[in-house]
Amino acid sequence: MSTILRQHAEQQFAQELEELKKQDGDQRPANWLMSPRSVVTYLVGGQLKNGFEITPKYIGNKRLMEIAVATLTTDRALLLYGLPGTAKSWVSEHLAAAISGDSTLIVQGTAGTGEEAIRYGWNYARLLAEGPTEKALVETPVMRAMKDGKIARIEELTRIGADVQDALITILSEKSLPIPELNTEVQSVRGFNIIATANNRDKGVNDLSSALKRRFNTVILPVPDSMEEEIDIVRRRVESFEKVMELPAEPPALQEIRRIVTIFRELRSGVTTDGKTKIKVPSGSLSTAEAISVVNNGLSMAAYFGDGQLKAYDLAAGIIGAIIKDPVQDKMVWQEYLETVVKPREDWKDIYRACRDLGA
Amino acid sequence: MAIHILGIRHHGPGSARNVKDFLEQVKPDIVLVEGPPEADSILQWAAHKELVPPVAILCYQPDDPQQSCFYPFAEFSPEWQAILYAKQQHIHIRFMDLPAASQFAIEAEKRKEADHTVKPENPIDTSNDGVDKVISSLALMNKDILYKSATPLKPGQPFKSQAHKKFNSSADTDESITDPVAFPFDPIAHLAHAAGYAEGEKWWEHMFEHRNNNEAVFDAVNEAMQALREGLPQKNDRLEQLREAHMRKVIRQAEKEMFQNIAVICGAWHAPALTNMPKQKDDNELLKGLPKVKVECTWIPWTYNRLSFFSGYGAGIVSPGWYHHIWQHPADDGTLWMAKVASLFRKKQMDTSVAHVIEAVRLANALAALRNLSKPGLEELNEATLSILCNGEPMMMSLVQEELIVSNRIGEVPAEIPKPPLQLDIEKQQKKLRLPPTADFKDYTLDLRKENDLERSVFLHRLLLLEIKWGAKYEVGGKGTFKEQWRLQWDPAFSIDIIEKGSWGNTVEEAAAKYTANRAAETNTLPAVCGLLQQTIPAELPTAIQSLIEQINNLAAASGDVMQLMEALPGLVSITRYGNVRKTDAALVMEIVTGMITRICVSLPAACTAVDEDAALHLLQLFEQMNGAVGVLQQPDITISWQQTLQIIASGKNTSAVIAGYSTRLLADHKLMEGEALVTQFYYAMSTATAPAIAAAWLEGFLKGSGTILLIDNNLWDVVNQWVEQLEEEIFMQVLPLLRRTFSNFSKPERRKLGEKVKHGGSTGTTKQVVAGIDETRANKGIAIVMQLMGYKTN
Repeated sequence: MSTILRQHAEQQFAQELEELKKQDGDQRPANWLMSPRSVVTYLVGGQLKNGFEITPKYIGNKRLMEIAVATLTTDRALLLYGLPGTAKSWVSEHLAAAISGDSTLIVQGTAGTGEEAIRYGWNYARLLAEGPTEKALVETPVMRAMKDGKIARIEELTRIGADVQDALITILSEKSLPIPELNTEVQSVRGFNIIATANNRDKGVNDLSSALKRRFNTVILPVPDSMEEEIDIVRRRVESFEKVMELPAEPPALQEIRRIVTIFRELRSGVTTDGKTKIKVPSGSLSTAEAISVVNNGLSMAAYFGDGQLKAYDLAAGIIGAIIKDPVQDKMVWQEYLETVVKPREDWKDIYRACRDLGA
Repeated sequence: MAIHILGIRHHGPGSARNVKDFLEQVKPDIVLVEGPPEADSILQWAAHKELVPPVAILCYQPDDPQQSCFYPFAEFSPEWQAILYAKQQHIHIRFMDLPAASQFAIEAEKRKEADHTVKPENPIDTSNDGVDKVISSLALMNKDILYKSATPLKPGQPFKSQAHKKFNSSADTDESITDPVAFPFDPIAHLAHAAGYAEGEKWWEHMFEHRNNNEAVFDAVNEAMQALREGLPQKNDRLEQLREAHMRKVIRQAEKEMFQNIAVICGAWHAPALTNMPKQKDDNELLKGLPKVKVECTWIPWTYNRLSFFSGYGAGIVSPGWYHHIWQHPADDGTLWMAKVASLFRKKQMDTSVAHVIEAVRLANALAALRNLSKPGLEELNEATLSILCNGEPMMMSLVQEELIVSNRIGEVPAEIPKPPLQLDIEKQQKKLRLPPTADFKDYTLDLRKENDLERSVFLHRLLLLEIKWGAKYEVGGKGTFKEQWRLQWDPAFSIDIIEKGSWGNTVEEAAAKYTANRAAETNTLPAVCGLLQQTIPAELPTAIQSLIEQINNLAAASGDVMQLMEALPGLVSITRYGNVRKTDAALVMEIVTGMITRICVSLPAACTAVDEDAALHLLQLFEQMNGAVGVLQQPDITISWQQTLQIIASGKNTSAVIAGYSTRLLADHKLMEGEALVTQFYYAMSTATAPAIAAAWLEGFLKGSGTILLIDNNLWDVVNQWVEQLEEEIFMQVLPLLRRTFSNFSKPERRKLGEKVKHGGSTGTTKQVVAGIDETRANKGIAIVMQLMGYKTN
């Protein structure tokens, strides 16, 4: 096993991608590694003709993945939209890995992302010494993707300032990137496209201009439909985490995951699972991703400070940390939940006690 | 000789096309269609150019119109195409289902049986409404065109379909207990699961509806159904067996009449039963001695909304608008559909460019390719619409759903079709008044000063009286009583109401009058009759009004309850005022009003004594209304007798304190008790000898309404102020709690103002009128748009 902390999707699932390519009999769009149908199989999992098992990467509505992949076969870009922690970046990474075999052409959008991060920048030492030349040009991931006919990824598109966002319009409509300084341009090779992600919970974001919006197809990724689906997601992700971190702790019992997921779902939806009790909703988004990190956190605690078995006590700190984002409001919400919902549940005594002990 | 059995899905555009092609190819000399044989005689209208689908055949029992059923046809119904073909080719066409006459009779028997067998102590059974109503999703394949209207047993849900309910014979009562979830009824679902589809309907659509080549498709359907019927447990359903037996009987009959080439159009489920004929004797045995009732049939217009799942029928199709589209444009790859979606969005002021449409069509086709479909279906198109035209927001999709996928299409029926006379009259009036029935709602603002609008209003009011709820009346803003706001939305089910009310008369006017008179005779509380009268006046039905007035007179004379009279009075008074705009004979009502007021004046003083606090407060309200009503009438003799009554009440020693106080106030308002007399009365009521609670009540009545009256009316102010000022300290201490009790009911700003007035010596308490600066009419216009933006339907 390598010493890399986190492997890229195309590295981690190299074998799956290889098998899919081998089995692929359908037509492939230019510069795609596999046919659209295989890409969907890669995302939602399934069994190949030779019996090889593809693990599901996205657990949820298959139709959404089909729309996403179909979008990338047209000349519109894909915008994945949704709450934080609904697997937007995860899906975008795997899409890029499956289509281009390269998920690293990524631009992280921030309020400070400038045009040079999207179009191209300059190596100023060279620029001063040699004047504007090809060599002085610093390529961005987007430019490289255009040249190679690959998928570029832009994370948190709406965090980027509106003026910078609009630099994408030419790239997406003309499929070319002019470089006036050199009196030349980069024209994208077939297979190029952009997958952007954006979340709809944040405040202070820059809405896309309608000119840019028109160039994206929007796919909204929802929070998991059912309890079972969410438990499945958490379990799979935690298992892969264990493998990577080589934790000595025993894998968590489904029971433990079920409880975490229940707490998160109940607080997110504002009602208990049986639909009988109304609950206040905390300010955090309480996504599945956070549930995963709570379990991971608990596993580490159990491995290094406990007896290697995941106990309520190991989870408590993580739960509280994930739920109480606002020290005043959320604390009240959590305490109310603890006293009215957790306490009366017969087999939840340990969680209740562990959370009480932590003083929250 | 050949018999072709064409198993179809009702309302399937693919099936319809297959049937049409097949018929054109085979050229049969007679076509037999699943449907009620009673309707054979009205089939001649099918080719009429003014008969525009969606339409339905309505079968009803003339002596019990609620016992009825609909057989709807859309343009894309295979049955409709078969009928059209037969009419165009001038060949024979017959319906072959079990006669509705027998079906009604059998159901009536069942209901009777169910009533006997269901024991009331078992709540689960009764909620299922007995044996004969276990839900069966067989309906889709089986009898989904047979919409059954309600039984008189369940008046709450008058048009609930029974079509999807399984009619068990009494012999297999046990089966009805089987959990409908545990026992999958939908036979198609079995095949769909085998083919890897989640839903039966989707599988059917892909297998049979969306195909372009139709060779041998009917044989395939037949074989599939045969396999299903063999594989699934046979249901011992008597009605089902009777229906199939009758179908076979009709086919045999056609054979006997020497038709050479017989085409039979039936639900796919029945196809095998018609192919493999059992012995003729068995069928005849089955069909012997069936009960019968009298049944009549007619064509009525239908709507796509009614065809869809969402309108309360258990069986139907999800997307009639979409089916209509693919029937009309079988080769459309989504371009036409998307263009329709785009123009709909544009109509609703949402920017949609041609580029959007292009991209959406591309995405839909890409999705179809990804899913191995030959061309995009509704799902692919919807997903593309959502992703591209709606930016992922599902809210706008509901618009597409309503306007395009279901659509508001309504059918038409020629005027000369024999119809119940009341229906004819309604249609005549609709035409004359230019009020066409529409499937989506339409708003009308009527100006009663105009001849046509007045007639429209009268017509709509009459329909309301007949409980045909086509129009709903809304409050209208602005000044004057000459405006009325109506919202009209036609529902095909009104046909039933119309037939039912047809027994009251042959014209709207006659039926409404007789029906109202009948209701008047049956009602025996005064306020209810008065409410009815209020509804009847704008409907301009003199005879009905006459009988209502008689009834009111009778009730008023018999009623010892003054309160009831007083409750009824304000409504009647408003009618006399209304009469001016409507040119109705208000004098009639006036007579009753005078009579009633006289009665009230006589017995009111007695009614005001010895009443408890709650009753007194209720009476106080009536007093207020009554006073207002007398003011509206402006008849000197009435006013005088009312004032005299007030005098008696105010000075009555035993009158309830609150009322006495209020009467005094009213007298002061009328300037009948002024100056010294008023002061005396006030001091007397507030004397220390009076129990504090009673004094407080009197003061409450006296200052009824608000403290504002004290602020504005300086006379009143002087009386109260002087009284307080002259109180000695000791007595003041005693009455203070009592004053406090009265004044604490006033609002805060009022109390503050009162305090200020006292501070300034009570001379001038100027009050400012606050102008909010909002034009309500204009603001109202905005509300609808805002609601629409938020995605609410404005009603």
